[in-house]
Amino acid sequence: MSKVSGRTERVAQAGETMIKVENLKKHYGGGGVFAQPSVKAVDGVNFSIKRGETLGLVGESGCGKSTLGRTLIRLEEATEGTISFDGTDVTTLTGDELKDWRRNAQMVFQDPESSLNDRMTIGEIIREPLDAHDWKDKQDRQERALDLLTAVGLREEHYYRYPHQFSGGQRQRVGIARALALEPEFIVLDEPVSALDVSVQAKIITLLEDLQEEFDLTYLFIAHDLSVVRHICDRVAVMYLGKIMEIGETEELYENAHNPYTRSLLSAIPHPDPSSSSHRITLPGTPPSPRDPPTGCQFSTRCPAKIRPEEYAHVEHEVWDAIERYREVVRERSRMSLGTFDRLKRSVGRFSAYDDIDETVADLFDDLDVPADIREHVETAAELVKDGRPEDARSHLIDEFNGVCDMQRPELHQVANGGHLSYCHRHTDEYEDVDPVITRRTRDT
Amino acid sequence: MSDTDTTTTRDELTGYENIPVRTRIAEAPRPFLEWATVLIVLIAVEFGTYASLTIATVERAFVGVTALFDILLGFISEGAAEAVVDLQQGVSKFLVGVADAAAALPTLLSREVIPNQGHKLGPNGPWQGTFMGLEPAVAWGLRFTLLVVYALFLSYWVFRGWQVYREHYRQADWTPTDDMVGRLRGHRWGQFGILVLVLYLTMAVFGPALGPTTVEQNIQSSYSYEIEYYNGETGEVESIPVGDANFNSKSKGGGENVGPMSYDNYGRFHPFGTLNNGRDLFTFLMGGARITLIVSGMAIGLATLIAAVLSMISAYYAGTIDLTVLTVADGVVSVPRLLLLIMVSAVFANHWLGGIIDGGFILAMVFAFTTWPFLWRAVRGPALQVAQEEWVDAARSFGQRPRTIMHKHMLPYIVGYLLVYASMSTGGIIIGLSALSFLGNGLGINPPTPAWGRAVSLGQDYVSTASWHISLISGLMIVLLVTGLNAFGDGIRDAIDPETEGTEGEEAAAGGGA
Ligand code: SF4
Repeated sequence: MSKVSGRTERVAQAGETMIKVENLKKHYGGGGVFAQPSVKAVDGVNFSIKRGETLGLVGESGCGKSTLGRTLIRLEEATEGTISFDGTDVTTLTGDELKDWRRNAQMVFQDPESSLNDRMTIGEIIREPLDAHDWKDKQDRQERALDLLTAVGLREEHYYRYPHQFSGGQRQRVGIARALALEPEFIVLDEPVSALDVSVQAKIITLLEDLQEEFDLTYLFIAHDLSVVRHICDRVAVMYLGKIMEIGETEELYENAHNPYTRSLLSAIPHPDPSSSSHRITLPGTPPSPRDPPTGCQFSTRCPAKIRPEEYAHVEHEVWDAIERYREVVRERSRMSLGTFDRLKRSVGRFSAYDDIDETVADLFDDLDVPADIREHVETAAELVKDGRPEDARSHLIDEFNGVCDMQRPELHQVANGGHLSYCHRHTDEYEDVDPVITRRTRDT
Repeated sequence: MSDTDTTTTRDELTGYENIPVRTRIAEAPRPFLEWATVLIVLIAVEFGTYASLTIATVERAFVGVTALFDILLGFISEGAAEAVVDLQQGVSKFLVGVADAAAALPTLLSREVIPNQGHKLGPNGPWQGTFMGLEPAVAWGLRFTLLVVYALFLSYWVFRGWQVYREHYRQADWTPTDDMVGRLRGHRWGQFGILVLVLYLTMAVFGPALGPTTVEQNIQSSYSYEIEYYNGETGEVESIPVGDANFNSKSKGGGENVGPMSYDNYGRFHPFGTLNNGRDLFTFLMGGARITLIVSGMAIGLATLIAAVLSMISAYYAGTIDLTVLTVADGVVSVPRLLLLIMVSAVFANHWLGGIIDGGFILAMVFAFTTWPFLWRAVRGPALQVAQEEWVDAARSFGQRPRTIMHKHMLPYIVGYLLVYASMSTGGIIIGLSALSFLGNGLGINPPTPAWGRAVSLGQDYVSTASWHISLISGLMIVLLVTGLNAFGDGIRDAIDPETEGTEGEEAAAGGGA
C-alpha cells in the first residue's frame, strides 16, 4: 500500500504516550442570563492513550463518552483543558494547521445508516477525504479507494454501487475504509458494532483488529457495555456522568475492579462461573441530569457503596436505601419549574399539585421500621414539597443526611499497579474499602 | 477471486472513470447519435423561435442587472451611473436587433408556413391566403395541434436523452434518481402536473405562432396593420385597419358578441372569442402566458436560491446565525405582500425601472423578496435534519470545507423539498400577479401587454351575458396552471419521499419495476 505523502515520519515507538488529555471539559449551552444551566457532558477528564493500543471507553448512554470521542477529533470544541497529540495541543489548532492535523485522527461512526451519504457512490464516499486534501492525482486516489475496498473486505466492483445496495455490516466496512483513507494514526470507534446484527459484530471486530495490526493504528473504542470491549481493548476507562470512574488494563479491571460503578457494570455481565461472582448489583433509578450533577461524587445518587454520615452508620440498610430513593424523588421535583398559575396557588397556600408525595413516602417507608428522628425529617421534607417548595425540602434533606460522597468530589486514586486508577472516597484510609461494603450490602437483598 | 481477475476488474474500474462522458460516447456512439440527430432536427425546425427567445431573455436579464448597478452607482457618482446607462442601452439595442433577426428566421410550424389569416373571394367562395385554401379555423387548428404535438414530443425526447444516458453511458447501474423517476411513473396526478407545465411552457414559448393572430398586429399596434375581407354588402374584397375591425367585433353581451370558436364579420376566427374591445382573447391569453411565466419564474427562481443558501447556512452553523435569519424572515413575513406590491408599483410607476419587462421585473423582485421566507421556513426542518446526519460529521472530521459539505452532503437532500414548496408557492405568485393586473390602475403588468388578470377584469361586467367567455376562460387559465403546479409539487414530494405516499406506494412500486 502506498504511503500518504506528507505524513510525519514516525520515529516514535509503540507504547509511548500518543494522546494526553488533561482536565478536559465540554459543556453545552449555559451562556446568557436566561439560559438554563449548562450541560456538563464531559466534566474534567484526564487520561492518556499509548501509541498502538486500544483504549476502551465504556458507559451508559448519555454519560458523555461520545462527546469525549468527538472532542478528541475536534468535532466539538473543548470548553476547557488540553488534548495533546504527540506533544501538540490540538484544541488550539485552526485553519490549515487544523485541516492538516485532521488527517491523523479519524472516526468510525455508530450508525451505518446515517454515516454514508446515500446520494454518493461507495467510490466517491471513500475517495472524498482524499479529494478534500488534494491527495496526489485523481488516478492515485482511485487506486487507493479500490485498495481500501479490498482491505476492508469488500469487492472492487462495489466502487460504483450506492450505499442503499449494502447491508449494515457492509456499510460499516465502507465507513471504516473512509476513515482509513488518509492513513490516520488514531481512530475513534464510536460504538462501531452496536447497530449491527450479532452475527456481523464479531466479523467487524476482527476486521478492526487486523487493520490495527496492518496499519499501526491507535484506537479509542467507545462502547456502552463492558462485554464488547473485553477482548479488543488493552485498557478500559469507565465513564459516568462526564467523569472517568475507573481506568486500568483490561484484565486487571475485569478481574479486580475497585470502583463501585465498575463493579455494578461487571455484575450485569453473565458470568461463566456463577460461584465466583458476587450477586448482581442492580442500580436504582436513572443517572441524574448532566445539567445538575451532584455536588459530590457523580455516582452518589445511585452508589451501592455510598458512605453514610457518622450519625446514621447504625441505620438499617433498607431504611437507608429508602432515604436515598426519597431524596432522588425530591431532587427530581426540585428540578421542575412551576408555572405561573401554580406559583399563584402556592402564594395563597392552596397548592396541591405535589400532594402525591405522601404516597411516595408511604410506598418507601411504611413497611420499614423507621427510627423516629429519620421519620421526622422525612415528614418535614414532604410538607415542604406539598407547599410547593421542593428546593427547600431538598436542602433540608441535604443538611440532614449528607455524607462525604454527597459533599466532596473524590479523587482518582491509584488502586493497583499499571496505572489502574479509581475515582472513589473509599480508596482513602479513612473509609472501609469498596469490596467488603458491597458484598455485605448486596448479600442482604 | 484470482489475481488476474483482480487486475482486469481494477483496469476496468480505474480506467472507466477517468474517461469523460464524451469519450465513453465516442466508444459506442450509436445510441447517442440516434438520439442527438432527432434532437437536432427537432430544434432546427424551430431554431428561430428558440434563438430569439433566448436572446430576448438575455437582453432582459442584462437590463435588469445593469439597472441594479445603475441605482447603486447612482449613490456614489452620477457620471458612473450614466456610463452604465449608456452601456446598457447600447447592448440592449444590439441584442434586440439580434433577437429580431433570429425571430425572422423561417421556422417549420410558423404562421407563414401554415397561415390561417385570409379572406373569402365570394359569399361562399373559396378562401384565399389560408393554408391550402382551408377555412381559417381548420388552418389554425392544424397549426395549433402540430405545435402542441411537437412540444410534447420534444419534452419526451429530452427525457429520452436521460434514459439513453442511463442505459448506455452511465457507470452506476442504479442511482437514487432511478427510484424517483420510477415512482413518478406510477403517479398520475404528478404526471398531470407535468403535462400542464409543459403545455403552459409551450404557450409561453410558441405563443406568437399558436394564436390566430399576433399580439403586435391585434393588440399592440392594431392601427398599423390592415387586413382584407369580403364585404357582403358591396360584394367586394375590401381592406380595413385591424383596429377598426376590432372595434366592430366587440363582445359586450347582448347583440354585440363574438363567442368562442366563431368568426367575426371580417372572416377572422376566434378560438376563445373576443374581448370586450374586440381583440382576440386567445392571442391575448397566449401573450399573458409568456409574461406570467417569465415574471413568476424569475420570482420563484430567485426566492428558491435565497432560501436554499440561507437554509443550508442556518442549518449548518445553527445558533446565532439561524436566529438572525429567523428574525429577518419573520420581519419580511410581517410585511403585507399586497400592500408592499402596491407601494412599490406606485413608487416606480414613472421610473424607467418600472418599465422593464412591462413592469414585471420590479414585481418579480418584490415577489422574490416576500416569498423566500416561506420557502426557507419550509426547508429549514429538512435542512436541520440533514445537518444532523453522521455523514456531515464525517465530512467535517476529515476537514472538508463547509461550502463543499453544504453542496455535496446537504443540498441533494433538500433540493426535492425546495422543488415541492417552490412549485406550490408559484401558484401564489401567479394569483398575486393576476390580482394586481385585475386591480389595474397602474398596478400589475403595464397595458397594453396582455395579462391574465386584466382579461378577467375586462370581462367582469359581462359574466351574466352572452360574453361570459371573457372572464371564465381567462380565470380557468389561471386555475389550471395553479392546479397543475400543485399536482407537480405533490408528484415530486411523493417521488422523493415514498413514505408519505400511503396507499399509492404499491402502484408506484409496480410502476418502478415496469
Ligand atoms: S465516592 Fe462514594 S458515592 Fe462515589 S463511588 Fe465512592 S462510595 Fe460511591
